[in-house]
Amino acid sequence: MKIQRFGLLASVAVVGSLALTACGSDNNTGATAGGSSSGGSSSSDCPTGTLNAEGSSAQKNAIDEAISAFQDTCSGATINYNPTGSGAGIKQFLAGQVDFAGSDSALKTTEKDGKIEADEAAKFCGSPAWNLPMVTGPIAVSYNVKGVDKLVLTPEVIANIFNGKVTTWNDASIAKINSGVTLPSEPIKVFFRSDESGTTENFTKYLNAAAPSAWTAEPAKAWTGKGEGKEKSAGVAGAVKSTEGGITYAEWSYAKDNQLGIAQIDNGAGAVELNGETVGKAIATAKADGEGNDLRLKLDYATKEAGAYPINLVTYEIVCSKGKDAAKSKLTKAFLKSFASKETQASLEEIGYAPLPDEVRTKVAAAIDALS
Amino acid sequence: MTTSTTATTSATSSSTTPPASRGGASTDLGHKARGRAFKDQLARVVMWGAFLLALVPLVWILWTVGSKGYHLLLDAQWWGNSQRGITARREGGGAVHAIQGTLIQGLTTALISVPIGILTAIYLVEYGRGRLAKVVSFMVDILTGVPSIVAGLFIYALWVTTFKFQRVGFAVCLALVLLMIPVVVRSTEEMLKLVPNELREASYALGVPKWKTIMRVVLPTAFSGIVTGVLLGLARVMGETAPLLILGPYTKSIANDLFGGLMPTLPTMINQDRTESLQPAVDRMWAAALTLILLVLLLNIAGRVVSRFGSVKK
Repeated sequence: MKIQRFGLLASVAVVGSLALTACGSDNNTGATAGGSSSGGSSSSDCPTGTLNAEGSSAQKNAIDEAISAFQDTCSGATINYNPTGSGAGIKQFLAGQVDFAGSDSALKTTEKDGKIEADEAAKFCGSPAWNLPMVTGPIAVSYNVKGVDKLVLTPEVIANIFNGKVTTWNDASIAKINSGVTLPSEPIKVFFRSDESGTTENFTKYLNAAAPSAWTAEPAKAWTGKGEGKEKSAGVAGAVKSTEGGITYAEWSYAKDNQLGIAQIDNGAGAVELNGETVGKAIATAKADGEGNDLRLKLDYATKEAGAYPINLVTYEIVCSKGKDAAKSKLTKAFLKSFASKETQASLEEIGYAPLPDEVRTKVAAAIDALS
Repeated sequence: MTTSTTATTSATSSSTTPPASRGGASTDLGHKARGRAFKDQLARVVMWGAFLLALVPLVWILWTVGSKGYHLLLDAQWWGNSQRGITARREGGGAVHAIQGTLIQGLTTALISVPIGILTAIYLVEYGRGRLAKVVSFMVDILTGVPSIVAGLFIYALWVTTFKFQRVGFAVCLALVLLMIPVVVRSTEEMLKLVPNELREASYALGVPKWKTIMRVVLPTAFSGIVTGVLLGLARVMGETAPLLILGPYTKSIANDLFGGLMPTLPTMINQDRTESLQPAVDRMWAAALTLILLVLLLNIAGRVVSRFGSVKK
C-alpha cells in the first residue's frame, strides 16, 4: 500500500513539473516593446546557441542592455552574464567555465604570485587572449547638499575631502573654487566602498595621478581613506541619497539612478561636466598599451585637456583570439559585434555609461572581425 | 508540536486547579495551593511569552515579504514568462524559469537522496549492529554538520577542478544531495525507532520474514513521519543558496536541461536582484522570495495530505 502511495506522490510531482515546464515562455518582447533598441544592422549574422560570461559588476548594467538588444534580434541565442567581480571572472575564464570574461582591468602582463595573467590566458586559449575595451563608465563624485546644484572640485580638494583633511562643506578650499555658491557649514560625510572594488582602484589611481601630493596612498581595490564603508555601488549611492552632507564616488549610472548631485572636475583646464561627450574626449586621449588587436588602454588621469572628464573606468571583455569551439566563437563574435555597434553603444549613455569614441570603436570592431 | 504542548499544559492545569479550590479549608494547604497556583500561572505566562516571542519574527518575515511581493504574483506574466531580455530598469517578465529550475533541482535531489536516506535509516534501525553501524551513524552526524558552502565547494572541486566538467544543474543537485541525505536519514531513523517492537514481534510470530515485516508493517506505521522528514529536507534544499552560487550561476532564460548549461533557481534569482538598487528589480526580489515561501508551503501541505491518507488506520 505504501509503495503505491509513494508512486502516486512521485507521479503527481513529475506530471506537475512537466506541465509547468511546458507552459513557460521566454518571449518578453511584447511586454517591453519600445523600451529596447535593437541593433538591426547585425540581424543577418545571428548564430544560435548559449554563451556564458562572468566578471566585472561595473559593466553589468551595460552588458545587460547589450544582451537584451542582441537577444531581441537573435531569438535563438542566449547570453548569460554573471556579475561576480573582475577577479572571479578571470579565474572562471582560465578554468574554462565561461566563454569570455568581463574585467575592470586588462590582463596583467607583470608577474604576481609567480604567475602572469596574460600568459596563463594564452596558455589556456592556445592563442593570445585579447582585451577588448567595450564599456567606459565614468566615476561620478556624487554629493547630497541642499541648495547646491553645481559644485566644482579640483583633484587636491577631492583628495583632501576623502582623506579627511577637509571636514566641512564651507571650507575655504571649496569656497575658493566655487564662488557664487552658498555652501552650508555642515560636516562632510564621506562614504566609501567596503568591498574590494575596481571602482575604488580607478578612483584612487586618479587621485594618486592627479593630486600626488595630497593623496599619497597606493591605488588599490581596498579603500585606504577616511569615511564610512558601505557595500557595493548601490550601498554608497543609497547612503549619500539618505544623508544630508554626504559625498562618495560611484559609477555614473548609480549617481543618476539616485538623483545625486555630480561634481564638475577641474583638472587644471577649467571645470568639466560629466557627460558622454566629455568622457569620450578623455577616452580618445588614452594610449594603446597592447600589441595589435590586444586593445588595452592606458588612461591619462592627470589629463589637462580642456573638456575631458578625467575619472573613468574602462571595462574589457577578455576573449581567446582563436576560440576552442567554432560554434561558440561564432556566437561570441556576433554578440561582441553587436555590443560594439554604434547603436548599442549610443543606447548606453542613457543608463550612465559613455559610448566608446569612434576611433576606439573602429579598432575594437576590427579586432572583433579578426577573432576566429 | 505547539498544539501538543498546549494540550498537555491545559491538561495539567485543569488537573491542578480542583485541589487548590478544595484545599481552601486548611490554611496550610491553602498556602501551598496558592504557591502552586502562582507557579502554574508563572509557567503559563512564560510559555505563552516564549510562544509569542517565537512568533514575532515569523509573522514579521511573512508580513514583510508578503506585503512587498504580492502584487507581482497577481500578474499572470509572473507565472508564465521568464526574465529573458528584462534588465534591472525594466518592469515585466516572470519567474517561471526560476520556479522550474528550483522544482527540477529539488525533485532530482529528492529522487536521489530519499531512497539512499531511507535505506540507510532502515539499515541503522533494523539491521545495523556493531562497528559498521556506529561508523555509518557517526558519518551521518558529521554530514549533518557540514555547512552548505563546504558541500558546494566539495562538488566544485570534484566536478570542475578534477573532472573538468562544466558547471551544470546536475552538479548543484549533487551538492544538495549531500545536504539532504543526513536530514532524511536522521528523521526516518527517529520515526522507525518509534514503531513499537510489539508490532515487529507480532509479525515475526505470524511467520512473516524480516524484509516483509519492514515493508508491510514498519514502514507504513512510520509513513507520515517519514514524509514529514523528507519534506523538511526538501524545504531546506530548495531554499539553499550557497552551493548554487558556486555551481549554478543565474541565467534569465528558461533552461530545463540538467546536464547542459546554467540553470536558474529562485534563490539565485533573489541573490541577483538583491544587489540592484532599481525599483523593478527590488520588486522582483520580494516577489521571488514570496514565491519560494509559497512553493515550500505548498509542498508541505501536499505532504500533509499524502501522509494523512497514506498512514495506517488506527
